[in-house]
Amino acid sequence: MNKIKGLQVLILSLLVVMVVTACGGNGGGKDTNASDSGNGAGNASASGKAVKITLLNSKGEIQTQLEDAAKAFHEDNPNITLEIQAVPTGGSPFERASALYASGNPPTMIMLDTGDVEKFKDRILDLSGEKWMADTVANATDLTTFDGKNYAFPLAIEGYGFIYNKAVVDKAAGGSFDPSTITTTSALENLFKQIEASGKKALVISPMDWSLGAHYLPLAYAGQSKDPAEVNKFLDSLKAGTADLANNKVFNGLMDTFDVMMRYNLDQKSPLSGAYERGPEVLGKGEVGIWFMGNWAWPQISGFDTANGQYGFLPVPISNNPDDYGNQEISAAVSKRIVIDKEKSTPEQQEAAKKFLNWIVYEAKGQDFLVNKASIIPAFKNITLPAADPLGKSIQAYMAKGKTEPSMSTLPADHWSKVGASMQKYLAQKSDRATLAKEIEDYWKSVK
Amino acid sequence: MIAEKGVWNRLRTRLLFTGPTLFAFLTVMIVPFVYGIYLTFTNWDGIATSHTLVGFQNYGEVFRDRDFWQSFALTLKYVLFSVVLINAIAFALAYALTKGMRGQSLFRAGFFVPNLVGGIVLGFIWQFIFSKVLVYFGTKADIPLLSYSWLTDPDKAFWSLVIVTVWQYAGYMMVIFVAGLMNVPNDILEAASIDGARGWMRMRKMTLPLMVPSFIVTIFLSLQRCFMVYDVNLSLTNGGPFKSTEFVSMHVYEKAFLSRDYGVGQAEAFVLFLLVAAVTLLQVYFSKKLEVEA
Amino acid sequence: MAARNFAASWLKYAALTVCLLLFIVPFVFLLLNSFKENNAITSNPMSLPDRFNFHNYTYAVGKMGYMSAFWNTLIITVASVLLISLFAAMTAHYFVRNQTKVNQYTFLIMVASMIIPFQAIMIPLVKIYGSLGMLNNKASLVYMYLGFGSSLAVFIYHGFVKSIPAELEEAAMIDGCTRTQTFFRIVLPVLTPTTATIAILNVLWIWNDFLLPSLVLVNPEQRTLPLSTYNFYGTYTVDYGPLMAGLVLTVLPIIVVYLFAQKYIIQGVMQGSIK
Repeated sequence: MNKIKGLQVLILSLLVVMVVTACGGNGGGKDTNASDSGNGAGNASASGKAVKITLLNSKGEIQTQLEDAAKAFHEDNPNITLEIQAVPTGGSPFERASALYASGNPPTMIMLDTGDVEKFKDRILDLSGEKWMADTVANATDLTTFDGKNYAFPLAIEGYGFIYNKAVVDKAAGGSFDPSTITTTSALENLFKQIEASGKKALVISPMDWSLGAHYLPLAYAGQSKDPAEVNKFLDSLKAGTADLANNKVFNGLMDTFDVMMRYNLDQKSPLSGAYERGPEVLGKGEVGIWFMGNWAWPQISGFDTANGQYGFLPVPISNNPDDYGNQEISAAVSKRIVIDKEKSTPEQQEAAKKFLNWIVYEAKGQDFLVNKASIIPAFKNITLPAADPLGKSIQAYMAKGKTEPSMSTLPADHWSKVGASMQKYLAQKSDRATLAKEIEDYWKSVK
Repeated sequence: MIAEKGVWNRLRTRLLFTGPTLFAFLTVMIVPFVYGIYLTFTNWDGIATSHTLVGFQNYGEVFRDRDFWQSFALTLKYVLFSVVLINAIAFALAYALTKGMRGQSLFRAGFFVPNLVGGIVLGFIWQFIFSKVLVYFGTKADIPLLSYSWLTDPDKAFWSLVIVTVWQYAGYMMVIFVAGLMNVPNDILEAASIDGARGWMRMRKMTLPLMVPSFIVTIFLSLQRCFMVYDVNLSLTNGGPFKSTEFVSMHVYEKAFLSRDYGVGQAEAFVLFLLVAAVTLLQVYFSKKLEVEA
Repeated sequence: MAARNFAASWLKYAALTVCLLLFIVPFVFLLLNSFKENNAITSNPMSLPDRFNFHNYTYAVGKMGYMSAFWNTLIITVASVLLISLFAAMTAHYFVRNQTKVNQYTFLIMVASMIIPFQAIMIPLVKIYGSLGMLNNKASLVYMYLGFGSSLAVFIYHGFVKSIPAELEEAAMIDGCTRTQTFFRIVLPVLTPTTATIAILNVLWIWNDFLLPSLVLVNPEQRTLPLSTYNFYGTYTVDYGPLMAGLVLTVLPIIVVYLFAQKYIIQGVMQGSIK
């Protein structure tokens, strides 16, 4: 009994000590925070001009590169410390940013998807007066301009289409493959046949909802017309419930191509089982010749590369007429934007954030980070560094020829998920084209 | 009933014993929850700097949202199977592992292992197992049932979720049962067995009634966890294939944060709370009655 | 008879062992893959690593800021679990011994609150505490864990306090112990097995929790282990090798503690049976 009592006393005193030390530690932590973050107003004036700013990164694959860039930026501007925060997995940048705003701790800069910028417009800085505004590529800031004011910095251009493995298609074509010959659905099918004849599989369809719902199907909207106003009109008619998708030429053409893809799909037996990781592996190893994806996939493909780094993009044809819009164009657009908070950030912090954006565009180190380290296709004309990887190069080549089709980057936020599910159903042959058209129409009618 | 003399003493004891817990509980759970309910009567989108009151409009939308009720029905089915299986398996394990057999603490530790890793990772690992390992095995051994991934078929994906859930929580509930079984005095059981009560009889007349408090806890916990399942749903099937396994938490979450319908999402969360509260309180009420009778 | 018993006990062992294997298989995968390169993981998750390559571990430790994250997690977990266990035991005890209407309803509300989906209070919670300037420090997080965790702990204690005969306490109080002394000298020791259970459950929850700390702790120097592990997730893909290593590193302290606590439960129960 005595022994037990001893143990009890020991545990209790341990408990007390732990609580006390823990609380002590916390109290201390709180104090330091209050003085060094505190969104810095007092701080900046107290200790010279030291400013601390933060950037919420929603492009997880460049987290390390951004951290290195922050260090390089700090070397150039010793009074500014930039800290990179990451959006946790499973959470969208929108959700994370709104939680941070709700908590009263918004980062100085937030990297948002294009469609979300408008929601934040009351809380972020008007960037219309920035120097880089004059150097952006055409139309780069149109979608983030409201009432004549641009609120966001265009960070990256991303493009997608059919990625080909040159070693495989060369062998299939019996010589050097010319990507410009693939401008119709039948030419594409012919290529698939040639690849199969050479003993490989033609392509793999990655069945993720975001790939099908945010990238593949929106080609049917974007391909309606070269004129963005016409495309918007089409979306409005979908919302109003007056569009007839089942008899729409572009939609049907796109789905005809999809039917062909399904016939030659490596995973035909179990079309929904592949995960993203399977795509870069089978393409890189040359088990298939073609994969529908975007230039962000390069780091993963390069891990399996057997084609000596020779890859490129093919457009997704929507008819058998090579001159139809979309048959020679690659879908591309600015996909990530950086905005600057004006609500909790001090003028010093706002200036420092602007300085960082300028540093990316105009300083050699910043450009090096953007193009060479992060493999981003910049949205600025003054940056002349060639893309660091074959997929970026391919997109840039299409851009140089003016052969791009603007990707749909302001679709409703749940579009990829809802429409992606309908596309999966179609891919698994659990629904037909009429059902698919109806489901998409129903989705649009529910959009507010 | 134990009571102190004097109002002041009574109050002091009450504050000492319940004060810290209740204060934290009130300020961390109840106040935000009530504030959340207030937000369901507004059109706030989760970020805008201002919002206006819209009355019951969001609740009207909840009742019109067919997907919400569909996923609720699916969740009910999932809860039913999971809760029964979890408790049956957990009790069997705990029963087998409190007999003083050699290595039983090692076994207990082992069965508890699934709880050591967070839900997202569990889902990821099981995804490997369902879509790679089992398929590989099924193709080699020529078992048609396993030759394609379970996660691509709506029904089988549902059962995959049940399997992973049972696997995840059985060990957890087992720990609670073990603690309960250890409180069942051995001398009662020994006396009973000398009196000739054996096996099933002893279990039914002696052990089970004494285990009612544990069952109340485990059934309640498994009910609550299964109703609220999100992590595993997200990382194992992500609601797929084509939204056929989207449970209700996931639907609410997507409504609020993906469809940017914060008010409706919050209202759905509140409706869900009321429904689940009804189910679990009934369970607690009836099992407490059982406990009194036992 | 003896032979039959022997066979039955072997059968039981075999069945339990098979079950156990099923339960820990995913864990083995985690461990194996933590030694492999990314490509090797995605192309064949089942293969054994070619050699024991600790590269993922060294990379993960550096990238995660392991030591500081470890201390943060430890401080938060220990402080929260101690507070939850102590205060919840006191509250549960009070509720059982003073079954007034108010207490019964309060208990019911606490039980019902466990059904509140976290997503439903997430935004209001950060909104309220953010406007009070109480976010971004560990003490607030510990306080929130007390708020979130106490309902479950009170609920579990409640069931077990009832199994303690009230006469025991009454006797002690007649001997001149105050209510508080009685609780600490008589009740708390008897509750040790339950406390162990509650401590384990809470340690696991808080140690691995992601969503709440991700909202409360904004500064990197305050990150807990799960927060830093999630560094390895990208937008389109995941750095599996380091992630697996990070997870093993996150879980390792827990396993050690768990194996230890397993013994402690038995000890506690033995103490309880002496009484």
